[in-house]
Amino acid sequence: MIMCAVLVSPQCMSASGHDGGQEEKKINPKEIIFEHLGDGYGWEVPFSHDLRIPLPVIVRSYDGEWHCFSSSRIQHGKEYDGFKLGGKDSKWHNKIVGERPVTVGGKTVMEEYRPLDLSITKNVLALFISVIIVMWMILQVASWYRKQGYKAPRKFTGAIEALIEFVYRGVIKPTLGAKSPKFAPYLLTVFFFILVMNLLGLIVIFPGGANLTGNIAVTLVLSLITFLIVNIFGTKHYWKDIFWPDVPLWLKFPIPIMPIIEIFGVFTKPAALTVRLFANMMGGHIIVIVLTLLIFILAVLGPAVAGGATVVSVLFSIFMLLIDVLVSFIQAYVFTMLSTLFISLAQEEGHKEKEHDKELKTEK
Amino acid sequence: MELFTPEFGLVFWMFVAFAVLFLVLAKWGWPAIMKSVESRADLIDKGVEYAQNAKEQLDHAREEAEKYIDEARKQQAEMLRDADRMKTQIIEEARAEAQKEAKKQMDAAKVAIEQSRKEAELRFRDEVSSFALEIASKVVRKQMSDEKAQSQLVNSLLDEIENKN
Repeated sequence: MIMCAVLVSPQCMSASGHDGGQEEKKINPKEIIFEHLGDGYGWEVPFSHDLRIPLPVIVRSYDGEWHCFSSSRIQHGKEYDGFKLGGKDSKWHNKIVGERPVTVGGKTVMEEYRPLDLSITKNVLALFISVIIVMWMILQVASWYRKQGYKAPRKFTGAIEALIEFVYRGVIKPTLGAKSPKFAPYLLTVFFFILVMNLLGLIVIFPGGANLTGNIAVTLVLSLITFLIVNIFGTKHYWKDIFWPDVPLWLKFPIPIMPIIEIFGVFTKPAALTVRLFANMMGGHIIVIVLTLLIFILAVLGPAVAGGATVVSVLFSIFMLLIDVLVSFIQAYVFTMLSTLFISLAQEEGHKEKEHDKELKTEK
Repeated sequence: MELFTPEFGLVFWMFVAFAVLFLVLAKWGWPAIMKSVESRADLIDKGVEYAQNAKEQLDHAREEAEKYIDEARKQQAEMLRDADRMKTQIIEEARAEAQKEAKKQMDAAKVAIEQSRKEAELRFRDEVSSFALEIASKVVRKQMSDEKAQSQLVNSLLDEIENKN
């Protein structure tokens, strides 16, 4: 993965360089950054600014009709089936928009609207690719065991197994104890899914490059699922601790200060999960892009400065990408660890049972 | 900011993708892996324990074998010693027996010789006395004088002969 990231990072730069050279106008760093961070209908191809791998667009118009077409039909401002990409002044810049009639004060005018959009965008495709990779990764370990029995796996299978062991024995088992088999499938799935999405995001060309975990929708869904698991499987003790915690009466009776704080805490936990992963991964992407753009911003100051900036930027980008590989792993680990922690906090039974649990743990 | 507003399409697909991934892995992936890893760990633990036991037993067996060999060696030596002793004893006994037997035979022979010598002496004496008597009677027939003095003379002659023997 590191090799991949390092190998393709110069390609990213040359791709961007091509952009700048072709347009022969002042580059707009903000637009470039946002285009790279955001989603898109179609997948960029290295060394070309115009060429995109077309992806299916699936939208439902205001009259309840489903439309499905290739994203190449709406590229470069083209309109198809009444749909086009939102322009620069539109509320939905670079998103698919349609037009529908609305009556304002007796007059019927056409108004831009956003249809229900279930398109297979770049991020969605990257999501599917990640799912397939994770599935293959885990199922091949499982099939190894089915076929080879007790033989220790080698090479890639062995590495994946070591990761599984690392998460299962290092995080899940010590925290959840006897309940770990119940929640381990979810937590392990989350770990590998995030890890693969993170690492794929670092690869600049086709199967990667999508800023998936740096997209708030992805992290939101993941933390929402953790939130649901925490609260659905929460014990009575957990709910009692929220609404009637063991604090002096005045803290909870006429004005329920503590319960309010606790309820607030129930929702801040998933929010923290969402933002942490999202911000970390997006930050990594932004830094690499900005470092690359720095070359073109400084290019106006003359060839000497541009040359120096290029060397420094490339070195820094490679350094940052390497750090991002580490961050990818750490963030996947942290997300899994915090999810485990939140789940285990909601699994607390009264104090007696807790001690009993501890005994069980020490026995193991 | 569009970066901070989740897109519905992506949220939807994320739910679908994650649900599919989770269901597939929860059915065919994780349980099999967890079970196998767990049972393999058990197997390894058992193997190590078994190996340790086996080593202990082996050490024990070696000790035991050495003990047996020692014992056998000791027994062998004892047996050899016993055999040796028995041999000398038997030889000794045989020798003693033989000596005794020989002595007995010799004694018997001596006695027999003595007896036969005595018998022979007696017979000889009788014969000599009868010869003498015959001679004497022949003498006496010639000289019918002093029979008593004659026989006295004969006896003293015989005594002389006996003493010479």
